Amino acid sequence: MSYLFDPDNWEWLWTGNNFRFLLEGFAVNLQIAAIAIVLSFAVGLVLALMRISSRRLISFPVGVWVDVWRNLPLIFIILYLALAVPGSWRDAYGEAVPDFFPEALQDELVLGALLGLVLYNSAVLCEIMRSGIQSLDRGQREAAASLGLTYLQQMRFVVLPQGLRRMVPATVSQLITLNKDTTLVSIIAIQELVRHGNTVAATGFGVTVTAPILQVFIVVGLLFIAVNLALSRLSRRLEIRERERTGTKPTSVRGLEDQVALESDTTGR
Amino acid sequence: MSELWGVLEEHLPEFSAGLWVTFRLVAASLLIAIGVGTAVAALRVAPLRWLNRIGGVYVETFRNVPLLVLLIIAFAGIRRAGIPIDPWVAGIASLGLYTAAYIAEALRSGVFAVGKGQIDAALSLGLSYPRTMRRIVLPQAFRTVIPALSSLVIAMIKNSAIVGASLVALPDLLKSARQVQADTAQTNEVFFWAAIGYLLLTVTATLGFRYLERTYAIKR
Repeated sequence: MSYLFDPDNWEWLWTGNNFRFLLEGFAVNLQIAAIAIVLSFAVGLVLALMRISSRRLISFPVGVWVDVWRNLPLIFIILYLALAVPGSWRDAYGEAVPDFFPEALQDELVLGALLGLVLYNSAVLCEIMRSGIQSLDRGQREAAASLGLTYLQQMRFVVLPQGLRRMVPATVSQLITLNKDTTLVSIIAIQELVRHGNTVAATGFGVTVTAPILQVFIVVGLLFIAVNLALSRLSRRLEIRERERTGTKPTSVRGLEDQVALESDTTGR
Repeated sequence: MSELWGVLEEHLPEFSAGLWVTFRLVAASLLIAIGVGTAVAALRVAPLRWLNRIGGVYVETFRNVPLLVLLIIAFAGIRRAGIPIDPWVAGIASLGLYTAAYIAEALRSGVFAVGKGQIDAALSLGLSYPRTMRRIVLPQAFRTVIPALSSLVIAMIKNSAIVGASLVALPDLLKSARQVQADTAQTNEVFFWAAIGYLLLTVTATLGFRYLERTYAIKR
């Protein structure tokens, strides 16, 4: 305990620009998470629509695809892609990445990391969306069809607005998971928060001030807690407001049991 | 195709040793996760406000910190503090305490599903609060949240790969696969078999929990 709270072991925090260096690393994590969630959401929506298709020729292969990627460890996928993505793809990424992107994302290694995050998270989001959509009463779709709406119109105006609203808590909880998972890309040498933390702990910048790794990573953990707590609070507030606006009740969605945590926050007590 | 089988034939000992390490890691962490998770869930539904708070802080802390950061704290951090912690202890504790937060949340929702009437009834029969929890509420709560536990165990199997990737001394399935890959340079084949290994574990867990669900689950 005395080691933990000894002021000498915390001096690194306000020495030089150690803390700023950590924050810069954290910014990279957040940027990777933001890009990955947007792409995963788009890909996941397409996968979900294919998965609920009534043509088995479409729904079956997509189902297998989704189940495989969702049941593999993310770190496994990232490490595999780091080895397996052809050099030409990486060069193409280096060329294609827009200049306004932050410097850390210009690195060609980022392609493998982003691909891995999107493959995994799009599969997870696909399942979340699918159960959101399928929890809707069949009658909604049938009514829309009998009104003469085309398939796309049924989806666009009737099914998706309701189905997607139901999966907001699960999606936010997946976003928090994704945010945490961005630390895994440190293993393939992308310069983000964990790497920066290790650098701070290894050098300490001043000769007299050392930065013990325990304290450095407690600070790293606190940064994550701050952002993730803010995210879940924000989503809960949005959800409550949305519910008051539309007058709907919270609906539990089957098949999302691992997301039960966030749901119980809104329905319990 | 023959290369695919060749890799498996030649390196089966490495793969199975890795699978066994992953299995033991998950099994030991699961015990801790269930034990700590139950205790934290009991704190969160206790009739005392400050106990709720403690449980809440636990859950929010462990649920919002990346497992990788927990592992670094638990191994490198504690070692640096002068305590020679064993990599197995650090890995099992991190994975177990991390998952415990999720299990606690699942159980909490299960406890709410049991309903206040039963708790009141038990208390008015003269059972103490801990006894009510142990005899009346928790057994039902567990049976309600079997599907959630199933997803959590699968997440745990996947998360065990993070433990192996960050602690040098824990040769789990992913690490053995990377070793074989480094020796043979047959990336696709090696990772294919490692993926089969992980799917084997997750599918077994899914089937096991499906059986538990059929036998014990309470539908609400």
